[in-house]
Amino acid sequence: MLKERVGHATVTIRCVVNGVERTVTTVPNRTALELIREDLALTGAKEGCGTGDCGACTIIVDGRPVNGCLLLAPMLDGKTVLTVEGVARGGKLHPVQQTMVEMGGLQCGFCTPGFVVTAVNFLEHNLNPTEEEVRVAIAGNLCRCTGYSKIVDAILEAAKRMREGEGR
Amino acid sequence: MTELKVVGKALPRIDGPEKVTGRTVYAADMQLPGMLHAKVLRCPYPHALIKRIDTSKAKAYPGVVAVVTADDLPPADRDPSVRSHAVLVEREAIFEGQAVAAVAAETPYIAEEALDLIEVEYEELPAVLDPEEAIKPDAPPTRRPLDEIDVSEIEGHVTVDISTADDAEAHRRSPNISNRLHFVRGNVEKGFEEADIIVEGRFDSKMAHQAYLEPQACVAHYDATGKLTIWTPTQGQFYQRNEIARILGLPHEKINLVGTEVGGGFGAKVAPLIQPLTALLSMKTGRPVKLVLTRREDLMNSVPAPRGIVEGKIGATKDGRLTTFKARIIFDSGAFPAGTPVGATMMIAACYKFDHLDVEGIEVLTNKCGAGAYRAPGMPEVTFAIEQLVDEVCRQGGFDPIELRKKNVCREGDLMPNGRPWPKIGLYECLEALENSELWRTRHQTKNGGKPRGVGVAIGAWPGGMQPASALVKMNENGTFKVVVGSNDISGVNTSFTMIAAEELGVPMHMVTTVTADTDTAPYGGLAAGSKTLYSGGKSVQAAAQDARRQILAIASRELDANPEDLVIEDGVVFVPGTDKKITFQRIAALTMGFGSRYAPVVGRGGEVIRNQAPGTTAQAVEIELDPETGNVTVTRAAVAQDVGKAINRLSIIGQMEGGVTQCLGMGLTEELIFDERGKMRNPVFLDYRLLTALDVPRIETLIVEVPSPEGPFGARIAGEPSIIAGSAAIANALRDATGLRFYEAPMTPERVLRTLRKAGTAVSHPVVLGEAAL
Repeated sequence: MLKERVGHATVTIRCVVNGVERTVTTVPNRTALELIREDLALTGAKEGCGTGDCGACTIIVDGRPVNGCLLLAPMLDGKTVLTVEGVARGGKLHPVQQTMVEMGGLQCGFCTPGFVVTAVNFLEHNLNPTEEEVRVAIAGNLCRCTGYSKIVDAILEAAKRMREGEGR
Repeated sequence: MTELKVVGKALPRIDGPEKVTGRTVYAADMQLPGMLHAKVLRCPYPHALIKRIDTSKAKAYPGVVAVVTADDLPPADRDPSVRSHAVLVEREAIFEGQAVAAVAAETPYIAEEALDLIEVEYEELPAVLDPEEAIKPDAPPTRRPLDEIDVSEIEGHVTVDISTADDAEAHRRSPNISNRLHFVRGNVEKGFEEADIIVEGRFDSKMAHQAYLEPQACVAHYDATGKLTIWTPTQGQFYQRNEIARILGLPHEKINLVGTEVGGGFGAKVAPLIQPLTALLSMKTGRPVKLVLTRREDLMNSVPAPRGIVEGKIGATKDGRLTTFKARIIFDSGAFPAGTPVGATMMIAACYKFDHLDVEGIEVLTNKCGAGAYRAPGMPEVTFAIEQLVDEVCRQGGFDPIELRKKNVCREGDLMPNGRPWPKIGLYECLEALENSELWRTRHQTKNGGKPRGVGVAIGAWPGGMQPASALVKMNENGTFKVVVGSNDISGVNTSFTMIAAEELGVPMHMVTTVTADTDTAPYGGLAAGSKTLYSGGKSVQAAAQDARRQILAIASRELDANPEDLVIEDGVVFVPGTDKKITFQRIAALTMGFGSRYAPVVGRGGEVIRNQAPGTTAQAVEIELDPETGNVTVTRAAVAQDVGKAINRLSIIGQMEGGVTQCLGMGLTEELIFDERGKMRNPVFLDYRLLTALDVPRIETLIVEVPSPEGPFGARIAGEPSIIAGSAAIANALRDATGLRFYEAPMTPERVLRTLRKAGTAVSHPVVLGEAAL
């Protein structure tokens, strides 16, 4: 994947992805999503629209949720990245993942990784959210199957369980 | 029946953990050794002749392995009137974005660059865009005459019985009319003469896209033995395999279709759209090829719901009896016939006991992307019309909208427009459930103060499909079970299959798993469409589990020296009550799969053909709030009642209902494919083709009604489609409640709402909103 579009120009990107230091040499005009999905083989983040409108490619970069399709790969240099693959630890689902499964917060599953990382990041900043706050937090993630209520319920329940000491 | 232990519960999907951890593999995630990437060159005009194509420069570009045009298609029995069969433009492009050529290259970037090197000379032709112009006998043709219309796809969704009246106009039809149906009962003229209340209107629902989150994707590999393997998300892997075989002229047994996880389909992943082209590139290169559409390509090139224009007129007596209905429906199906109008024309008047009806449905072709099936195809469009007319009868006659409907809706034995009697249905029961809903009971409490608010009601029905299906239930070496089916899991149905099998086998859920096998190895399964998967496929899973159970009891009776009828199964143990005779499933498994075993392995087989439909019905209410300054409509509450016969998995049913209602609220408020005066799509991006977000959708009150079907597994009937039918009509009726005005166009965008308000003189005086032309 080195000789496309911009001749032989390459760039080396160093970042920490899901707690692991990674170094990738690639062409500079690829998206962060392409780097993560193709070079790092972390295919959890999905490309649903490629224009930043659906949130299926959401990743957490330095503690903030971003659309991986809108970010150029070199912008990950020096950054800390969390993808859906890094959410569960030690074979145990994160409370958000657990409640999404239990409460029907997913159907086709294509948007699910984006919702999971968005919600996990959101709860790190607000462990006592109102329903309205949850809906605002996930408004950048489109879901076509559920009608959102079950996702909202799952996030509220995860918050409750985390307040009671579950998870991290 | 004995008490159910598993069926009827609300259980999480068996594939949930894979999905929340991002490990589920969708087609776009696949990476095969030596895999090439494909990109497609698309026609920039809605209607054009290709005068010349030169691919030589693209072929010579480093990294390009193959470039194909229609000349590269193998000879085969293709039907150019079928969307799937039009793999590449042969001469005449009939919608913007139609595939003209395709490149397979070492990387997607090289493939994309090579597209620029393909030289195409077009002669632009006038585009036929307005469906009402296109049906006139002297209208210019959208394409060469179509002789035979393929309705196989719609037949997958709904089993129809078309009994049409004499087609007197047939001899002078427009070349663009691809289908016409006509249902007549009684004498509508006489009906209107006798009516006390007459209401009429012209309603217009625009093209809407299924907008599944996963764009169309495919990986194909044609190997050195001439075997073609295709990995793709599909709602019907056997159907797609058969179609691809015909399109490429290959024998069925040389194609294996592996259905990958489906990231949403809603009807659009039934027919093969990109699979034949991907396969062609693999056949040309001998290497695996991946083609994933961009969202823009997907919005422009797949199979949205048609636009539906309904001129309708309804007559009622002063005591609130609906007697007469006349309608002319025009479906704009774009460039390819969809079959969509067949079910919708029959169903528009099907919920009510009209003495007189005259319904004509016309499908017309235009130079836009070809329509297809979208969840209860055609029903939201026609329901938007009839349910507003019925609502207007209520308003004018002073009837309660639920009471009037209860008085008039069809029940078992009443006739459908095709003259057949309805089987057992739960439409009346849905209305009763809605009447008892929280929303309906408290509808007056939130009407006071602030912005205008209103509540609207609408109902609908979908006859449902049926298709032969089969399943295997095999016992594993440790006494657990694997259910193997050939239908694709698009709605959590494999979880429900698992529940059905566990129930019949007398084991806990965790001892059973269900897999969809590929077409080489799976028993035949029908389409995962038309809501029929659980109804037909679930019956075969039930039969296969019963067959396995019989085999287990036969072994146990010999091992325990007991009569099979004395045996009881509980939690994976067979025993004779009152004795110490017992044997575990694990032991039985060991007795069937070891050296010197006396028994054959347990493999239950179920093949079922259900010959009667189990229609699904719904009644919905929404509460809206209108901002008269902006024209913005907010749905503040929604309630949906749906008869599912038996909720096998309540969690899954509620998910289907909430999802379906949300899609229809989108159709009612924001979702529309917009074409400009030249026929070019103006909004092929999710910023402009706007889906509802978590902030736009209220909590939805779901009311599960269970009027058992006579034949489905445990009384289950169809489930997936009814919830999408009535939402846009309910919004329009709620707006009527809030403003006293009728809203005739869907989606009811702020622009349209403001225009209607302004026309009626009720809007604010300072216009602040862009007109449609500015879009």
